[in-house]
Amino acid sequence: MHIDARTLPDGSLLEGDVCIVGAGAAGISLALEWAASSRTVLLLEGGGFQYEPAMQELYRGAIVGLPYYPLQAARLHQFGGTTGHWAGFCSTLDPIDFEKREWVSHSGWPLPRRELDPFYARAQSLLELGPDEYAAADWQRRDPTMVPLPVDPRVMWTKMWQFSPPTRFGTRYRNAIVDARNIHLYTHANVCELEANEAVRAIDGLRIRTLDGKELRARARVYVLACCSIQNARLLLASNRRAAGGLGNAHDNVGRFFMEHIEMPCAHLALARSHARYMKMYALELGTTKARGEMAVSAAVQRERRILNGTVSLEPGGLDETAKSTFEWGTPAMLDSLRAWGERGNPGPPPATSPGSTPAPLSFHLLTRLEQAPNPASRVMLGTERDALGMPRAMLDWRLTDLERRSFRVIYEVVGRELGRIGAGRVQVLDWVRGEGAWPGNLSGGWHHMGTTRMHVSPREGVVDPHCRVHDLANLYVAGASVYPTAGAANPTLTLVAMVLRLSDHLKSTLS
Amino acid sequence: MNRRRFLHLSALGVAAGAVSLGSGPARLTPHELLDLLGPETVRGLGRRYREMAPAADLLSAAPGRGGISHRVRDDFARGRTVVVEGWVLSVTEARQCALFSLLPA
Repeated sequence: MHIDARTLPDGSLLEGDVCIVGAGAAGISLALEWAASSRTVLLLEGGGFQYEPAMQELYRGAIVGLPYYPLQAARLHQFGGTTGHWAGFCSTLDPIDFEKREWVSHSGWPLPRRELDPFYARAQSLLELGPDEYAAADWQRRDPTMVPLPVDPRVMWTKMWQFSPPTRFGTRYRNAIVDARNIHLYTHANVCELEANEAVRAIDGLRIRTLDGKELRARARVYVLACCSIQNARLLLASNRRAAGGLGNAHDNVGRFFMEHIEMPCAHLALARSHARYMKMYALELGTTKARGEMAVSAAVQRERRILNGTVSLEPGGLDETAKSTFEWGTPAMLDSLRAWGERGNPGPPPATSPGSTPAPLSFHLLTRLEQAPNPASRVMLGTERDALGMPRAMLDWRLTDLERRSFRVIYEVVGRELGRIGAGRVQVLDWVRGEGAWPGNLSGGWHHMGTTRMHVSPREGVVDPHCRVHDLANLYVAGASVYPTAGAANPTLTLVAMVLRLSDHLKSTLS
Repeated sequence: MNRRRFLHLSALGVAAGAVSLGSGPARLTPHELLDLLGPETVRGLGRRYREMAPAADLLSAAPGRGGISHRVRDDFARGRTVVVEGWVLSVTEARQCALFSLLPA
């Protein structure tokens, strides 16, 4: 069932069993798990079914740390959320990403990777991926011409990615949501405040506003925030009527530990002709490729060299040119064209998503996606300016540490030596990777926002518990990448959906 | 070693530590790098390496029993690498580049 909140009388009360705030990949995945159940699910989406500039404007915020992408362009505020312009990269986190690493402060998840395995398997179909197989050998068996580089597995390995069509949740699952009688989808329903009870031990209701000035209220047994890392934190911080620092923030953790994947061009590879046959494994043609590998540094090397996790992808390109970073090529206009392509049903090849250099099969740009170290100083706060609904705007203070810088250097030392050792070619490392000090001007993330409501067993060190429930609030949960304690080197969406399915199972057992 | 000294040693046959292995000066050239990067880049790398390591024993780049490829691979495996103009090179091949840069273009 779908209702545009603007059509409801001012002061209306929406009631259900489960109330999900945000209808992106997390919110829709969660709602679908409850379709046809006996529970009434309220699914509150701030935007509508289409892109609306006025809705995007609500996401505008200030940047006060390292330069960052315009916040209103980095996320889509509409049904389907940011899957409306994502590229579909999916991979699992690695076991080491879940471990406590003594050289990475605040690392470690309160669950092992194997606990997510069954949920990763279930997430595959939601994202319209292939089989739940992420070993290079699996894909080589399917296609014997996909052969991984013969690197020493103690040093490097080939980490596999699968590619979603990409699934546009807003179109792919619209009918399933709207046709489900027990799912009540309200669009243009922006939640502006979580109302806690007097003891600040539970949520009593939500305050909703529409841009045309109506105010509604929602009430449910359980509430789930699923409106992305920046907005989840913003909403908790802004809900400060009964707790001065915001809800779930007794220990000043809400908004902290904002993480990105640092996505940068780092080196060139002059490939030996003898190794050209391995390149099919690492090739990517968006819209066509089902799976590909990226080079990655082994867990053993990460431990020995005390570095963060990262991968290296290969993109054909001349040795005399430098690839653009993700933020450089992915201008807001480019993302807009991706969204428009998605709205047309992803017809044909996607709009150019890379610099479009002439393929030169023996020379490659090496690009890295590096995990950001959890850092309490990297954070989302409330700004002084308010949006059209009266909510304080988000303020992002993105900060990196020396560990990220050193990790880039070590990764390319390792990659350069190992590719030289196997005779695959020679690696030329870019100046900024070898240097120290300030980050280069083309510093870029991957639009992957994580970590602002991190998971930890202790309320002193995390916002949510291992079941994604906000510490000290009996009926408030968080879904999405904001609960990640660490970021790993894989794009967050697959893990995000897997975590949502795990949360859904937990909620079903709780409510029963 | 500068160009004058290299040519002088070559003329005297001192460089024949390598040449006597049945190779001639061609065995001192970094064939693999030449294939990958071309002579102009290799020559530039050699000049830069001579600036970086003026005291390097360039003649140690002569092939041993296992052949030059083996030595280069062994360098990479043992971490005997040097970064020249950003390129991660084995020390042996960096010295080869330096020798190559001393040869007439």
